[in-house]
Amino acid sequence: MTDTPVPKTAPVRDKSRFAVAMESDFIYAFKRSPVAIISTIVVLTLVLSAVFAPLIATTNPFDPASLNLMNGFTAPMEPNAFTGDTFLLGTDDQGRDVFSTILYGMRISLFVGVAAVLFAMVLGITLGLISGYFGGWTETIIMRTADVQLTFPSILVAMLIFGIAKGITPVEYRDQMAIWVLILAIGLSDWVQFARVVRSATLVEKSKDYVAAARLIGRKPGAIMLRHILPNVLSPVLVIATISLALAIIAEATLSFLGVGAPPTQPSLGTLIRIGQGFLFSGEWWILLFPAVTLLALALSVNLLGDWLRDALNPRLR
Amino acid sequence: MLRTIRYAAIAAALGSAAQAAEFTWAETTDPQTMDPHAVNSAPVLGFLNNVYEGLVRRGKDMSVEPALATAWEPIGAGEGWRFTLREGVTFHDGADFTAEDVLFSYQRASDEASDTRSWFAAVSEVNVVDDYTIDIMTSAPNPIFPSSIANWMIMDSGWAEANNATLPDKESGNYATLNTNGTGAFRVTAREPGLRTVLEPFDGWWGEAEHNVTRAELTPIQNPATALAALLSGDVDYINPVPIQDVARLAENPDVNVIQGIEARVIMLGFPHEADGLKYSAETTDANPFADPRVRQAVAHAVNVPAILQTIMRGNAEEVSQLVSPAMNGFSTSLADRPAYDPDQARALLAEAGYPDGFSFGLKCPNDRYLNDESVCQAVTGMLAQVGMRATLDAMPVQNYWPELRADNYDMYLLGWSPGTFDAEHPIRFLAATPNEEKKLGSWNFGGYSNARVDELLPMVQSEIDADKRQGMIDEITKILQDEVAYVPLYVQPLVWGTRSNIDLTQRPDNFFILRWVTVN
Repeated sequence: MTDTPVPKTAPVRDKSRFAVAMESDFIYAFKRSPVAIISTIVVLTLVLSAVFAPLIATTNPFDPASLNLMNGFTAPMEPNAFTGDTFLLGTDDQGRDVFSTILYGMRISLFVGVAAVLFAMVLGITLGLISGYFGGWTETIIMRTADVQLTFPSILVAMLIFGIAKGITPVEYRDQMAIWVLILAIGLSDWVQFARVVRSATLVEKSKDYVAAARLIGRKPGAIMLRHILPNVLSPVLVIATISLALAIIAEATLSFLGVGAPPTQPSLGTLIRIGQGFLFSGEWWILLFPAVTLLALALSVNLLGDWLRDALNPRLR
Repeated sequence: MLRTIRYAAIAAALGSAAQAAEFTWAETTDPQTMDPHAVNSAPVLGFLNNVYEGLVRRGKDMSVEPALATAWEPIGAGEGWRFTLREGVTFHDGADFTAEDVLFSYQRASDEASDTRSWFAAVSEVNVVDDYTIDIMTSAPNPIFPSSIANWMIMDSGWAEANNATLPDKESGNYATLNTNGTGAFRVTAREPGLRTVLEPFDGWWGEAEHNVTRAELTPIQNPATALAALLSGDVDYINPVPIQDVARLAENPDVNVIQGIEARVIMLGFPHEADGLKYSAETTDANPFADPRVRQAVAHAVNVPAILQTIMRGNAEEVSQLVSPAMNGFSTSLADRPAYDPDQARALLAEAGYPDGFSFGLKCPNDRYLNDESVCQAVTGMLAQVGMRATLDAMPVQNYWPELRADNYDMYLLGWSPGTFDAEHPIRFLAATPNEEKKLGSWNFGGYSNARVDELLPMVQSEIDADKRQGMIDEITKILQDEVAYVPLYVQPLVWGTRSNIDLTQRPDNFFILRWVTVN
């Protein structure tokens, strides 16, 4: 079917692909859901401002040499008593501009979140396909491991992995490695969901005729799994991935809040909230409030988007 | 209700200690051990001062007063000191206190396994004269010896032997790590490391109780903000420290009192004087820039101490130029000026030393030991980066911190030092003398700083009786340490305690919390 070129004059192509996509049920549902639209706007704004942080931010908060301690604890929109500098969202205890730090911190949060989910997804899909397709001992071993891991709260698993990894990395690389270790820790604590869903979908798909046909013409199991089964089990994975992204962002923030995540010289949103928490009683509310609101907005809108996606992709709910 | 108040007023007026009064308090650091000879650090010694006692103790104004010894006098022309011991004192388990226990405690506390060894550097031998008299001989006249042993706590020899704890065990611990048997006003009735430690008054104590506490509980709360919340909600009666940023707000709250003082603790930066190369550098691994005094001088000029005091400490600390604060005996008044903040001078010094582009290195820092320690280290990291010294900051809890320093795993470190004797000789002995196991010197001199003249002057300082001559020698040492920048002293840490307003207590300048001075109203 792939070998037959579609004639350019074919009637199905008199509309552009974009136009076709815009008329799909999916977009139809999207346009009628204010929650989805608002969430998308929030997510896009935050993601874009994180990506273009170096262009938007007024300072580079990750460069300790650029900080002026005398700017510390400046309130939002009020000139500092010593330097006269004014900051949109104030500064923290080190004189770091909170606005810039949020932008840069969000980069870490998003990067860790996305990378951890991708990692968990690849791992979970692979193991889920293998156990669903082959069954038997392979399945037992993989899925029982998954069951055991499910009995531990994922944040504990992440802390355990983080602790081990921190113990074996040499100190001089710890700061550079911290981000990758976080990704590994969160990813490893999150693959079970993907594996379970993919496995159950694979069990359903593998008894269908097209799989039997592929097997009959002699395709190898790897090819059948990747080319035939995978495309048909992807839509639930997409939904889990979105919701996992929100959870991964929160997991990163939690780890950093507990002081085991991003290093203090390169704060993520969670680190910022940890720093800010120390100044709640003393009246410097902005150090805590702005990063917390940003984290809330980010996690909430990603989550809402995931929820909506689940409903939109489920034909039974339409 | 009214009647209760009236009774309470009468009771308070009579100074009666009859009411039942429970007292709870929170500190950042849990005492690592209950063994008074295992770890020479303030959280341990401060807590155990309530449970164990020494021959002498310090009063509310830090003056030396009799405890287990009732009197002491020099022997001959300064060959040693004779202590007359208090009679009728019993340990918590009922055993009698005699000179044998003092001898045993000397052997235990001065053993190689003990962290308190260097207190006895001057002691040549200890002789039991009779049950209640003991002679402590010194190798040279030592006028400050009695005041230098206020934290040397006496343990029952029979109890230690029966429980296989004749020597302290820093690493794996033994019976004395979890259990206590002192002569002090309070005994430990429950000990759960990191969770809670319960004290109850010891009925058989020899002294007269000033307090009215019937039960006291220590809960370590690592996060100062959490501890403050516990104080405000009334869950604890006393916290140490109060986060410095909250002092101003707290002063307006009628339910709590803030007690402030200047502590004896000097916060400083230390260096690896003896290392061949930097441990945590990307490029400078075969040379040690910090071995060059010009580089250390550059560090002193690069750190903007006034800015740290202004923002992080909120004006509650004072900068310092030497290893002791101006309140200590032996402070060198003529050398009171700290090197000025001058980044250009720092860059020039670095270039002169052969590092015009600077270098990278690792800064170690505790994050639960001193007031805002991690914040200060972060600020120092930024200031050093501005002159080209690019530090990677590694901040950790104190129980991991000391082992890292002892294993030489640092390129620069933060240290706070509070002289237990309130005398300038103390930090010289611990931090500046060439490390020497046998002579019990330099036991906290992690970097191995060494200067022959300092080593020569130290015993002279210890035995000099003339105050002016002694000060002259201390001044000379201070000058050497400043010229060679053995350490970079930054500031004197403030002392900030918070109590509920119904609590009366005394803040001792060494930051020791003495439970027998507590009254719950």
